[in-house]
Amino acid sequence: MIAAVKEWLAVFPTLLFLLPSGASAADDPGGAARELARKTVAFAGRGESVTASWRNLSSLPPGDLAQARAVFESALRESGARAAEGGTVEIRITVSESRQQYLLVGEARKGDDRQTLIAAWKRPAGNAASAPAGVALERRLLWEQPDPILDAVLMPDALLILSPGKLTLYAHRESSFEQRASAPVTPARPWPRDARARLAVNGAAVRAFLPGTLCTGTLQPALTLECHAGDDPWPADAGAPPLLAAFVPGRNFFDGHVVMPTGARKSLAPFFTAGAISERGANYWVLALTSGTTQLLDANFETAGGITGWGSDLAATGAHCGGGSQILATKAGDAREPDSIRAYGLSNRVPVALTAPVDFSGPVTALWSAGGASAIAVVRDLETARYAVYLLTVVCSG
Amino acid sequence: MVKRSGIAILGLLTASAISPATRPRYGGTLRVETRQAPQTQDPPAFLDSGFNITRWEAGHLAVYEADENASGGRPFLDSVEIALGRALRDQSIDLELGKADVIELGPTELRRQPAGRKIWTSSPVRVLALVFSPRVEDARVREALALSVDRAAIHAVLLQRQGEISGALLPQWLTGYAFLFPTTQDLPRARQLAAGARPLSLAPEDPASRAIAERIALNARDAGLNVTVTSQPASADIRLSELRVASSDPAKALAAMAAALGAPEPARLDSAEALFSAERSLLDGFKVIPLIHLPDVYGTAARVRGGPGISPAGDWQFENLWVEGPRP
Repeated sequence: MIAAVKEWLAVFPTLLFLLPSGASAADDPGGAARELARKTVAFAGRGESVTASWRNLSSLPPGDLAQARAVFESALRESGARAAEGGTVEIRITVSESRQQYLLVGEARKGDDRQTLIAAWKRPAGNAASAPAGVALERRLLWEQPDPILDAVLMPDALLILSPGKLTLYAHRESSFEQRASAPVTPARPWPRDARARLAVNGAAVRAFLPGTLCTGTLQPALTLECHAGDDPWPADAGAPPLLAAFVPGRNFFDGHVVMPTGARKSLAPFFTAGAISERGANYWVLALTSGTTQLLDANFETAGGITGWGSDLAATGAHCGGGSQILATKAGDAREPDSIRAYGLSNRVPVALTAPVDFSGPVTALWSAGGASAIAVVRDLETARYAVYLLTVVCSG
Repeated sequence: MVKRSGIAILGLLTASAISPATRPRYGGTLRVETRQAPQTQDPPAFLDSGFNITRWEAGHLAVYEADENASGGRPFLDSVEIALGRALRDQSIDLELGKADVIELGPTELRRQPAGRKIWTSSPVRVLALVFSPRVEDARVREALALSVDRAAIHAVLLQRQGEISGALLPQWLTGYAFLFPTTQDLPRARQLAAGARPLSLAPEDPASRAIAERIALNARDAGLNVTVTSQPASADIRLSELRVASSDPAKALAAMAAALGAPEPARLDSAEALFSAERSLLDGFKVIPLIHLPDVYGTAARVRGGPGISPAGDWQFENLWVEGPRP
């Protein structure tokens, strides 16, 4: 900043109040055009002829501009002025824009008198186009909302959505879902910045694993949920029994201490996600480590290889296409970029892509096994900032 | 990728193969360098949220550590080290040598960045402007200088087309009416106004802007003004200054600029028209001559993830950044 200039000519009276400039903006182009017409007539005088010229310096579509122009000319007549060529008053109207609003800026001239007249209207919030379709891995949008989604469970007649503040049960109604009940989620400690959580439903019982918190409740006869501080290990995959892993409170990863489905305990490197995969009867584990490495491990968690090009999220599926099972993985990249997921299998312990990538309009913020051949993916749309839940299903064909 | 029997084969497997994690990683220190070198006893608020300052060496160093109880969760970074008073050229060298993660880029440095460098750019939030000392009382002389400046040449050559030419204090993206303020050079009119003017001194507040000051002095001479560039802003007749857009609310931003210029704060900025009127009043008399609106531009190391770490208004927002490096 520069130093103050002394003895400045006092062009401004004392500060009275400041309001955002959008405070007096109209709601639409028509409202702004009427306002500009009123101001024009106030400057020109009733009965005067006005010649208006237009130019567009904004991103406003031509149709909206034509609408504003028609409304302006109509309002000009209604206010007692005449629109005419070679009028006594000339006004050059520029359609301009700022981040928050569109402006109609009129530079009016009547003889030697000049005046700048401005009318504005608020910009509408942008709507994002949906992600392109055309996928080999079957994708089904289940739910979309502005609040973050941590995990979801799709049941035959209902959908359970876990958000940082609540657990919501939606009933299946025709081709959509409608809310049936919700219960507050009260974590024992604040959510980490990259919040993660895991839902597990068993009959009418529900458990929500949160960082440093375990919530337990019921789906029937009423949706309930009670949360307590706890470091219970999370089910890291959808196996039966699952791989259990200790999640680090206040962070976004597992510390590496796991209980294998056999009951044996192992100490591994810290990881974001884990999943099982098989090839010709041999079982393997895949771990997305916090170091950025994706590791292939054998059934005893001994290193069997490394994988390049995968992101931090992967989820095993129960699909068995060909001679082994399939696993889904995000792509390597940045958590602020549009992501994609594709299905992989093993060929001589080398992962091979079995499907084309399923592209999303934002980063995948959660990817969990959903049982069977499916997984649940949560995506944050980069344009709308809304969260969407997808059911991804590996379909064997041919 | 190689295709074999219709199946895409991934890259060769090695136990140590590393690809950047897509999920944010905790840990690490972000090393930032800036030209700013505040000498205040108390540290300025470089980082508004997510971090607590733990070390302050006025004009040299500020160290912040992650706030475990930060709103929205603890930042991914453990700490942020901000080296102060670093010249732009030194910053670029440090980025190249891996000694810095985030640096400021001037037009010259921006041109020299290698392909693939991650660049963060804000909206135009800095106003390069000429500010007259109260000693220059003749408004005709001030207007002469305003009409003599060839903004297009400065923008194209010295600033490498960075930013936007403007005669307004507030940028177009903020108000939508900045285009109303004239920017064209008019040497014949400037010569008329400059007749009989005394010699003037011009000093850039930032030494990096000296080439621009010299170009302005050259333009002024074409209009018959005798302008000499000095390095003493405090005593110069004209200062080449940088004003900052301090708020994304145009009314507040204009009020802050008025305060920075020592002018009374404007009243009733409750419409675009009122705002325009207030800004025009502020510029009447040519005591301040806006030239060009510039963005904040930063270069970042490849290991910095989760960016951009600045808001559209140029504020540092490092809570959601992380660095690839040692395990958390």
